[in-house]
Amino acid sequence: MKDRIITTIYILFFMLIVSSCKKWVDVDGPETSVGFKEAFSTDATAIGVITSLYADMGNQVLGQPAHLTSLSCIAGLSADELRYFNASGNSLLNAYYTNSLNAQIVGDPGYWGAIYAEMYVVNTAIEELNAATLLTPKVKQQLTGEAKFLRAFYYFYLTNLYGDVPLIIGTDYTVNARISKKPKADIYKQVLLDLTEAQNLLSEYYLQGDGITVYPAEAQERVRPNKWVATALLARVYLYLNNWTEAEAQASKIIDGQSQFHLESLDKVFLKSSKEAIWQVLPTKGYLNTTDADLFVLMSTGPSGNNPVYLNERLVESFEDNDERLSSWVGSVSANGKTYYYPNKYKIIRSSEPSPPITEYSTVMRLAEQFIIRAEARVQLGNQSGAVSDIDEIRKRAGLPLLESISSGLQKKDLLAAILKERRMELFTEWGHRWLDLKRLNLIDQVMSTATPEKNQGSTWKSYQQYYPLSIAELQKNTNLIQVPGY
Amino acid sequence: MYRFYTKSGMPYRHVHKIWLIMRLTTVILIATLMQVSAAGLAQKINLSKSNVPLKAVLKEIRTQSGYDFVYAEDIFDVAKPVNIQVKDAELQDVLKEIFKAQPLTFTISKTTVTIQPKEPTFLERLANRWASIDASGRVVDSENRPLPGASVKVKKTGKAVSTDKDGRFFLRGVEEGAVLVVSFIGYLTKEIKAAKELGDVVLELSTSKLDEVQVIAYGTTTQRLSTGNVTTIKTDVIEKQPVNNPLLALQGRVPGLFIEQATGFAGTGVKVRIQGQNSLNNGSDPLYVIDGVPYNSQLLPGGNPILGGSGAVSSGIPLYGNPLNFINPSDIESIDILKDADATAIYGSRAANGAILITTKKGKSGDTRVNVNLQSGWGSVPRKLDLMNSQQYLEMRREAMKNDNITEPTPGNFGDNDLNGNWDNSRYTDWQEELIGKTAVYQDINASISGGTGQTTYLLGTGYHKETNVFPGDYADQKASVHFNLNNTSLNQRFKVQLSASYMYDHNQLPYKDLTQTALTLAPVAPEIYQPDGSLNWEPDKFGNTTFFNPVGFTFDKFLTKTNNLTSNLLLSYELLPRLTLSSSFGYNNMVSNSVNKFLQQSTAPEFRQYVPRSTIFVDNNINSFSIEPQLNYHMTIGKGILEALLGATLLQNRNRGNQIGASGFSNDLVMDDIMSASTVTPASSVRSVYKYNALFGRLNYNWQNKYILNLTGRRDGSSRFGPKSRFHNFIAGGAAWVFSEEGFLKNNLSFISFGKLWASYGTTGSDQIGDYRYLSLLDPAYQVNPYQNIVLYKPSRITNPYLEWEETRKLQVGLELGFFSDKILLNSTYYRNHSSNQLSDYSLPLTTGFSNIIRNQTFKIRNSGWEVALSATAVQTQEFSWKPAFNITVPKSLLVDYPDILKSSASSTAIIGQPLSAERVYHFLGVDPETGIYQFADKSGNATSKPDPYSDKTVLVDFAPEFYGGFQNSLSCHGFQLDFLFSFVKQIARNYTFGILPAGAFREGLRNQPSSLFNRWQKPGDKATIQKYTTGFSLDQPYLDAAASDAGISDASYVRLKNVSLSWEIPKQWIKSVKLQGCNLFLQGQNLFTITNYSGLDPETKSSASLPTLRVITLGVKISL
Repeated sequence: MKDRIITTIYILFFMLIVSSCKKWVDVDGPETSVGFKEAFSTDATAIGVITSLYADMGNQVLGQPAHLTSLSCIAGLSADELRYFNASGNSLLNAYYTNSLNAQIVGDPGYWGAIYAEMYVVNTAIEELNAATLLTPKVKQQLTGEAKFLRAFYYFYLTNLYGDVPLIIGTDYTVNARISKKPKADIYKQVLLDLTEAQNLLSEYYLQGDGITVYPAEAQERVRPNKWVATALLARVYLYLNNWTEAEAQASKIIDGQSQFHLESLDKVFLKSSKEAIWQVLPTKGYLNTTDADLFVLMSTGPSGNNPVYLNERLVESFEDNDERLSSWVGSVSANGKTYYYPNKYKIIRSSEPSPPITEYSTVMRLAEQFIIRAEARVQLGNQSGAVSDIDEIRKRAGLPLLESISSGLQKKDLLAAILKERRMELFTEWGHRWLDLKRLNLIDQVMSTATPEKNQGSTWKSYQQYYPLSIAELQKNTNLIQVPGY
Repeated sequence: MYRFYTKSGMPYRHVHKIWLIMRLTTVILIATLMQVSAAGLAQKINLSKSNVPLKAVLKEIRTQSGYDFVYAEDIFDVAKPVNIQVKDAELQDVLKEIFKAQPLTFTISKTTVTIQPKEPTFLERLANRWASIDASGRVVDSENRPLPGASVKVKKTGKAVSTDKDGRFFLRGVEEGAVLVVSFIGYLTKEIKAAKELGDVVLELSTSKLDEVQVIAYGTTTQRLSTGNVTTIKTDVIEKQPVNNPLLALQGRVPGLFIEQATGFAGTGVKVRIQGQNSLNNGSDPLYVIDGVPYNSQLLPGGNPILGGSGAVSSGIPLYGNPLNFINPSDIESIDILKDADATAIYGSRAANGAILITTKKGKSGDTRVNVNLQSGWGSVPRKLDLMNSQQYLEMRREAMKNDNITEPTPGNFGDNDLNGNWDNSRYTDWQEELIGKTAVYQDINASISGGTGQTTYLLGTGYHKETNVFPGDYADQKASVHFNLNNTSLNQRFKVQLSASYMYDHNQLPYKDLTQTALTLAPVAPEIYQPDGSLNWEPDKFGNTTFFNPVGFTFDKFLTKTNNLTSNLLLSYELLPRLTLSSSFGYNNMVSNSVNKFLQQSTAPEFRQYVPRSTIFVDNNINSFSIEPQLNYHMTIGKGILEALLGATLLQNRNRGNQIGASGFSNDLVMDDIMSASTVTPASSVRSVYKYNALFGRLNYNWQNKYILNLTGRRDGSSRFGPKSRFHNFIAGGAAWVFSEEGFLKNNLSFISFGKLWASYGTTGSDQIGDYRYLSLLDPAYQVNPYQNIVLYKPSRITNPYLEWEETRKLQVGLELGFFSDKILLNSTYYRNHSSNQLSDYSLPLTTGFSNIIRNQTFKIRNSGWEVALSATAVQTQEFSWKPAFNITVPKSLLVDYPDILKSSASSTAIIGQPLSAERVYHFLGVDPETGIYQFADKSGNATSKPDPYSDKTVLVDFAPEFYGGFQNSLSCHGFQLDFLFSFVKQIARNYTFGILPAGAFREGLRNQPSSLFNRWQKPGDKATIQKYTTGFSLDQPYLDAAASDAGISDASYVRLKNVSLSWEIPKQWIKSVKLQGCNLFLQGQNLFTITNYSGLDPETKSSASLPTLRVITLGVKISL
């Protein structure tokens, strides 16, 4: 017995000395993760990487200025759409609201960090897809299209929120850590390039989760970008670039060329089966439909820490009489002797069921915007009647008298004002449209110089506040970055 | 053969010659001085003597013959008495007759007779050789257990051997009666006369602190012989402290060791730093080794956040609690803290931050002994903050409204409830009393049986510990533990086996929310907690809406963690050859913890319960590690020294598995422990990781007569945490000690110095404390309740760096140790300087890279240096009374040095070159502008401004690291009474509660009570106030925040704390004889009894006013031995 023990020790010791050390410290990767290269060698994981970016859009907390989704709330606060409930005690939201952001308070990651984090995934995906040999070619093509579309989508918002921004299309962190800003025009160049490529690469159909199969018409879900999504964004980008011809052309591709899109009645616009939707994202969190409804819909007790925002009275007052959007898309509660209005485009509030039935999808782009884009482009191109007919599609749906009947004497300027107003009434609290439109049309100083003091006594509008600042930390970490002028 | 050299480098035989010459000179000198004259010449001699001394005989012959005699006086020492009967004999014949039997010889020249010692003949010499003996014997301790490895040395010649495994020794060729010196680590040195069969030589345990056994890596030493910086804390110190984590028993007692408790909860996080923080932000934990087996320094993610952390995060996730909470302090025999490179280099990569070795109790041979230790006590929050009363609070609130031009308080239940009529303003509640004012109950019982015979010893121990908490509601931490140790030695003493294991089950029921911050900030006019019927009061307004979010509601949310911890070790050793031993330890550790974190609906206000489903988070963690460490040990005598050589290897594997699963939709409260009763189950996170580590190591230790000691270690390590190209690294270290008190010149001249040692060590250690797989670029799956098109999502977890390498710390330490007056006073001083380079650090990246940081080796170095001084004394030691004070202090300093590319680095914003790691830049506060009532700060040119520039105006540098810390301890005993007390002290600064943690006088986070010291505020132009005007909105928010980021927000947090008091009384033996007890002790113990501090906050140790402060615990107990 003892001899055996001793022999064992001998053997153990001998083994240890003889066996190569290297073997003993080799480990396989963790069971819980997968490497980048491996991820892009099978269709399912490659799709999983890109899809996580869409899931992010459906999941973000709307009350936190980080992921783009929350622009519906935050940019609404910065502009004149929403009011902030003071007792909620969030100094950061308060600063967005009172247009008094500064480099100290803005914090990280903010939109800046959140978007560049997604940009890294997109850029890595484009690199890996380019090198991938094992993917199904159709999937590879679709995913490359989606990634390029997303890059354009992100840069569109980045440049509209921050002005000049670094153009990052590679993944080398040593380069990206020392990068400096590029003018807005260069960013738009890249956006156009990516979108045109995406338009060519992406499928014409709404695809299922395998990246190949087309949805049957009756069960269609418009939750992956396709050719029309890229086209819709392209129309918007041309509008922002004042390229009226192209804006009109791209919008027309969707409005006229595609019978699958049509305006829905007001109560159906934001449903998952909406035919007005061009691109929606699917909520994947428990207990919720959209985070929009979760944040905006007020309880009977009025605004609170959980629901700290409500609609600005000025917006509510701007609805014309009989505008059905007011009754359909705006809700109200009376609490503490005051009436609070809230955005009610999405209606399904938090459930106590972890996976309640999901009937509303968060809508990123929809047909109504394309009508408005085309209307504006047409006015600029001198096609007034075309513009009026586009706007009237929207007014008709809202139950309003058509412009056609009253437009005969309208000047171009008046028509543009009418279009802008329609934009405001149609697209309020959706993806920061109002905040971006005011800047695009150079109306921001005029509008905000009255809106800001109204929001908070003592606050004043400073033009540089139209762009959000970079945090001190970010500037310190990359000394080649310069702060947004004014801050 | 052997060559002997003296210290001057002269060959030994030359010395011998000099010695002979000197003796001869003496002979001549004495001969010259002898005034001997010849009285007459050539006469016949007549003698009749019997048993007469030679000297007397020679005197007689001189008188008769007239011859002179020349001799050295010392020849008579060896001369034998003389018997002689001669008549008229010739002188020559007479002398022949006389010297025949003498060991002396004579020569006659003229009238002089010279007498000299006889030169031995060859045969005589041979015979003499046979006269020397071979001495043998056995060295044992007082309980007759053999002491292997003891040294036996011939005092005169320095020849030495060491005892074998049975304690036996055999010394060849020793002069009979020569003096042998027998010594062994930890025992008093003994001198005996050499004899053939010496039998058992019994060594008594040394009482000097210098000779206490210190456990070091793969061996033992003593303070006397150590070449490194090691401090040992024994069980007698640990058992005097009512603590539930053995680390807390070390606070204030070990120089160079800084321990900070995170909260006052049972199971709290404990931050441990040995000689400072060596790594910028990765792994500054020491290596813990229990009975030779490495132990976790951190728990897995998923612990209860209210416990606070132990100073580490894993991939950005804070880790809560501390793994040493699952070790019963009563099972511990000793804790050794290894600080320098010499002591730790053999642990290689894992000991850059020092090592803490825990040795558990072992059985002793002898009669079966039973020890029982019972104690119970009370714990409470020791300090309350002075907060505003209702009147002051309301005045502050109304004034803040007025200053913001708000005429009407916000109505509604989410509005200003304190002012809008919802709450009764005449109320006052001391929320500190209501929420954290309860007394916690403390119970502890430990029992052990030990015993054994010569070959086998055993110890079995068991314990139970219970601690409740100070919050309302029923919470307790309960621990049950078992410990055993079994030792066996084969009959021939060559094969030994030791098995020890400790098992603990911990059942820690905690709330999910720490109510401490609520206790400090809840408005004093807030409503009653309970309604008259005993149910919680939510104080509905007239519409039925809750106005009071009752904090006690949170106590319905329960966080139960059950932890099973098994540590075990099997040690086998076999003596292959005399002096060559092969041994191997096999260690296994398994820590399984299961948490059930329940969120009940009662914690939510009634009207919101419909939106808040019952939910439970289940956390299952499993840490599993085994290690095998085979070793070869060899020792031999070289010259007058003993060489010990060690060669070994380590194989270690660590597997972590963890799952966090959320479950919700339970139909009632009773089924919330069962995941199957949930309508929805959501995986939240999972951990699966494997860590492999191996090493080859060796050590050479040479001890020359306990005077000169040299220690060299080397190790080659491989760790799976690095990329394949940089997995291996070498670490070496050396230490040397000179025990100068062993030198003759000191022994003879400065005998009051009983011990003196100078030592130095230098070497490298490393760190791989970065978490697993950090060199891989990975995508993690992201769980979705409602899967996006049924796709599994993957998200990148971090940016990749395949070139990660070892972090290296070079440690240089020098020490001087002195003992005075038979070691009655011991002084131990050390200077240390540790340089950590190739820092594995999160290098912060601009967010444009997609990530906020990347882990990589960085070029800067961190230098930790400092002084450690420990002084202990036996001030009074009589039969009745003794007093032993001890004092230690550490003055640490940490600097960030050598940072050539700081301007290019993204760390430039946080780390300041040439300054401590813990340094920060803040504004200089200039008080309140008397005109505007707004805080002012100095800008960079010293001018007052209320809008300081964060880039350039932060002109004051503050350092949050302790300036110095230490402890002062006293042990007094008198007539069976023993009193021990320890004061621990720290000099430091911290963020204060007045400005540093909350904006004083502002309500940005809702209604909050504030310290009453904030009442001195600005009200009107001209006021000289310390607090700016009160506001409720955000109009003056920035100055409030700036004040928090100024030197006003930081203040002194130094403290002196009566950390521990223990009073015990041993009941006289005769009283307990009748009940057949061996011994009985009654004791009273206290922990954190009082604190002297200027800190404006609850506790200068936790430095937080958002977490429960360390509790004051007082216990009463009895210790019985049967």
